[in-house]
Amino acid sequence: MIALTRMRVTGFVRSGRALPPLIAVLAVLSLLYGGGASSASSAYGYSAVMLFPILAWLVKLVLDTEPDVQRRLARLTVGPVREAAAGLLAAALLAGGVCLLAMVAPWPFRGIRGPLAGSTEPPVLTGVLLGVLAHLLALLGALALGALTARVVTRRVLPGVVVLVTGSVLAIVLGLRGSVVPWLVPPVMSTARALGAESAPDAGTLAGLVVHTLLWCAVAFAIYGRLRRGRS
Amino acid sequence: MRFEGIWFRYARRADWTLRGVEATVEPGRTVVVLGHNGAGKSTLLQLAVGVLHPGRGVIRDRPRVVGWVPERFPAAQPFTTVDYLRSMSAVRGLPVTAADPWIERLGLGEHVDTPLADLSKGTAQKVGLAQALLAPPGLLVLDEPWEGLDAASRTLVPQIVAEVTGAGGVVLVSDHRGEVAGLPGAIHWTVRDGELHRDATDDPGGGEDDVVVEVAVARREADEAVVRLRASGHRVLGVREKHTPVEDR
Repeated sequence: MIALTRMRVTGFVRSGRALPPLIAVLAVLSLLYGGGASSASSAYGYSAVMLFPILAWLVKLVLDTEPDVQRRLARLTVGPVREAAAGLLAAALLAGGVCLLAMVAPWPFRGIRGPLAGSTEPPVLTGVLLGVLAHLLALLGALALGALTARVVTRRVLPGVVVLVTGSVLAIVLGLRGSVVPWLVPPVMSTARALGAESAPDAGTLAGLVVHTLLWCAVAFAIYGRLRRGRS
Repeated sequence: MRFEGIWFRYARRADWTLRGVEATVEPGRTVVVLGHNGAGKSTLLQLAVGVLHPGRGVIRDRPRVVGWVPERFPAAQPFTTVDYLRSMSAVRGLPVTAADPWIERLGLGEHVDTPLADLSKGTAQKVGLAQALLAPPGLLVLDEPWEGLDAASRTLVPQIVAEVTGAGGVVLVSDHRGEVAGLPGAIHWTVRDGELHRDATDDPGGGEDDVVVEVAVARREADEAVVRLRASGHRVLGVREKHTPVEDR
């Protein structure tokens, strides 16, 4: 599975398909950090939200890069479960690289400042750790959404794009404060709100966000596995 | 390997591409699948390989190691020939050098650094053949293997088929170019109107008066002996190591 993951990462990087999402990431980071500095937890919370649709798009691109016949050859070689897992692992690694870039990007441009005097904002180190968690949760959600938009599931390009755009928009809209069905989407908006609050979120809030993300991803991956069962 | 009541269609409301396919292939046999364009030859082969799944029925006793040469090799990948074959070796859990003998044998040496997308159709087909043979296959499925190959390379296909069947493997080949004459002893299946018709003269069960003759040959001559026996109309049931002395009977 590791060899197949390596082959897919290499294939994706060499294909040049990484360029459009990379440009989008740089544009988002420029918007985010071009206008001044904010606390680490707040900055990283909103960074994770803004990256979510791009990460899902990146996952779709990674899973769609390999020709269908080559994917079948890989499936034949390593079996259906490992073949699907290798695709998701390759996508997760590349999306993880984008998250790392987003975590590092604000520092050279002084986009992050320490807590204001007299405020209850968390210290920088705590903010960075919360940022890592926020990006990790966004990555997991994007991985699941991107997988559901892959060509192997939707069979044609247009339905995949529709699912990707709809899923990304719904993640924002249904995640707004006061939403009646926030559990229908991964909690990227709730995470940003929690990290953007005046003080650091408590352990219970963070645990709730993690459980919400894991449950949502479990359901999405179960659907992905079910849809892929008869489609190679 | 047994096809038991296989029905297949590409979409829920589509017409059945294959209906009620019943067939058995013994180890060491070659099956040539014939039929006009769109008859369902490739579909049957992909079901045999396991990349398509029957709507009804089941395929039993499929060998563990399967080599598949698709009708069109997926050349739209950003790898050179050697990168691709070495990557596929690693994916199969083999050392990267596993591809080297096939690169040499199939005459791919001068194309090792050529991007897959720049290969001619025939050379790409050879790369497809090489990836299928990296690990000795118990089932080798060749979908139009002669397509695009030059005259010298065409003779390689029967040799490779003989080696796989000589080792007890099963080979399924589709052909619409009349190259099957190069595969002596092959069973012929014809896909017509969604149904599989077996050539009556090639009953894999053999005649009731058949007897089994065990023959020992030198290892280096085994492939040639299998080909000669098949060319003479005999059925080679398998090739095995000579573990114990054979008693005179």
